[in-house]
Amino acid sequence: MRSSIHTLFCRGSQYRSLVLTATVLSWFTTLSAQNRPTGAVLDVGVRAQKSIGLYTETGITAQFTHAKLVHQRLYVGLSYVTSRLGTALNSNAVKQDNYLASVTYLFRPNWLIRPLVRFNAGYFRADYGSELFRDLPQTSLLASPELGLCVCPRFPLKLNASVGYNLLTGDGVTGPGTLYPVFVQTSLTWNLLHHAVTR
Amino acid sequence: MNRILTLFLIGLIGLGCSKEPAITDDMLDSGKLFDPSLYKPEQYLISKAVPNPTPAQASRPVIIACHGYSATTFEWDEFRAYLGNRTDVYLSQVLLGGHGRSYADFKQSTWHDWQTAITTEYEALLKAGYQNISLLTSSTSGPLSLELVSSGYFASRTAPRNLLLVDPIIVPSSKSLSLIGVVGPMLGYIEADQPATEDKVYYHFRPQETLQQLETLLTTVRKELEKGVTLPTGTALMVYKSKQDPVADPVSAVLIYNGIKTATGQPTDVQLIDSKLHVYTRLNLRTDLTTTDRQNQTATFADIVNRVLR
Repeated sequence: MRSSIHTLFCRGSQYRSLVLTATVLSWFTTLSAQNRPTGAVLDVGVRAQKSIGLYTETGITAQFTHAKLVHQRLYVGLSYVTSRLGTALNSNAVKQDNYLASVTYLFRPNWLIRPLVRFNAGYFRADYGSELFRDLPQTSLLASPELGLCVCPRFPLKLNASVGYNLLTGDGVTGPGTLYPVFVQTSLTWNLLHHAVTR
Repeated sequence: MNRILTLFLIGLIGLGCSKEPAITDDMLDSGKLFDPSLYKPEQYLISKAVPNPTPAQASRPVIIACHGYSATTFEWDEFRAYLGNRTDVYLSQVLLGGHGRSYADFKQSTWHDWQTAITTEYEALLKAGYQNISLLTSSTSGPLSLELVSSGYFASRTAPRNLLLVDPIIVPSSKSLSLIGVVGPMLGYIEADQPATEDKVYYHFRPQETLQQLETLLTTVRKELEKGVTLPTGTALMVYKSKQDPVADPVSAVLIYNGIKTATGQPTDVQLIDSKLHVYTRLNLRTDLTTTDRQNQTATFADIVNRVLR
């Protein structure tokens, strides 16, 4: 018993961390009914994505919804992610840019953690850095579905994570070689209009 | 009920994993056909053919020709034929570890095993007194040789005069290789889409374990290239890359060009070849060849010899 108390005392900081984490988690998970803004929502933030087997890319993202867009379940968005702010930063990796327009549908609008599906369409451009490679494919259209989750707490911060699949990739004959199929992405956004109209 | 269903599914997956390929005796995979260099190494390796060279022989350039993943010494037979009876250059054809033997041998091999065959011949030649050695690689032996450079293997040895890379693979054309760690254990192996004539000189079945090794090698070398690699003093690098390649994505040449500099900080040489073939220097057993394909092969062989004799 004495030993147990001693152990507990010594591990006090760990317990405090555990209790704090549990409190935060329980606070999040018990927020089943969210107060959602009734007007427009403009989420702006950063997006990081990692192609499985290749590069990490980072950039900016923005998405917009309104009460008239399927009761704020449907978002339209724009994103720009680049390896220049990822693997290619201070390295010899290929510098490439992704310009994306997206449509996102959120399920379970009153849940804290909402499943989402998204479809991206856009444009991909790689910079090979030398005229020697001008004959190789360097651009491509982008088309990718995503499946994931959005953590949408009461305050205007959103965290979403998803897995996506590029339908168009490089295959050695057509398409840029650094355009890979499977990617995971995370974005962290803030609703710039949260002061405008809230319930 | 759900538990029974889950167990049933796990059982099915387990059965899927234990599936063995249908290997026939006509395939290299069978363990009944072997690469000829295993029977007569002296006909393929200069370290065996001329183990005690005269000073004149030791100064003669030696090209160590290394084949690609799942291939054999066959891949450079046409270069041997091209050289004919030339006496100003030697050709040593290396059989990569785990290759040219059997499916079981291949399955157990790692990329380090594949590479060891190259270093074994390289060290044997140095020990015998040869000083002018160049490495000629195709496909996967390209990253194997680049890994030797990036890992500092040549720092304590006489460095090769030339690294001549034909269709090196850093980025595979089939991007599904990036998922081999997940889907590989479910598949067990992958079957090559190749004519029966090639089954005698290329493995027909590719064990997922070796594909994982390949993926590991490519990732390792790609990351080294991203950090930057410097060639040893006195070593030149030349990349010959098909513009369209269904196996090694042409962007591999970009990664090598951007990732490697000579010892004096100069960029390396690259030539994009107007070809749709992977390892366009190997034409035997292929069908539907064009005049351009033959011209590409001859031009590259001539360029290789010129570079080695400089």
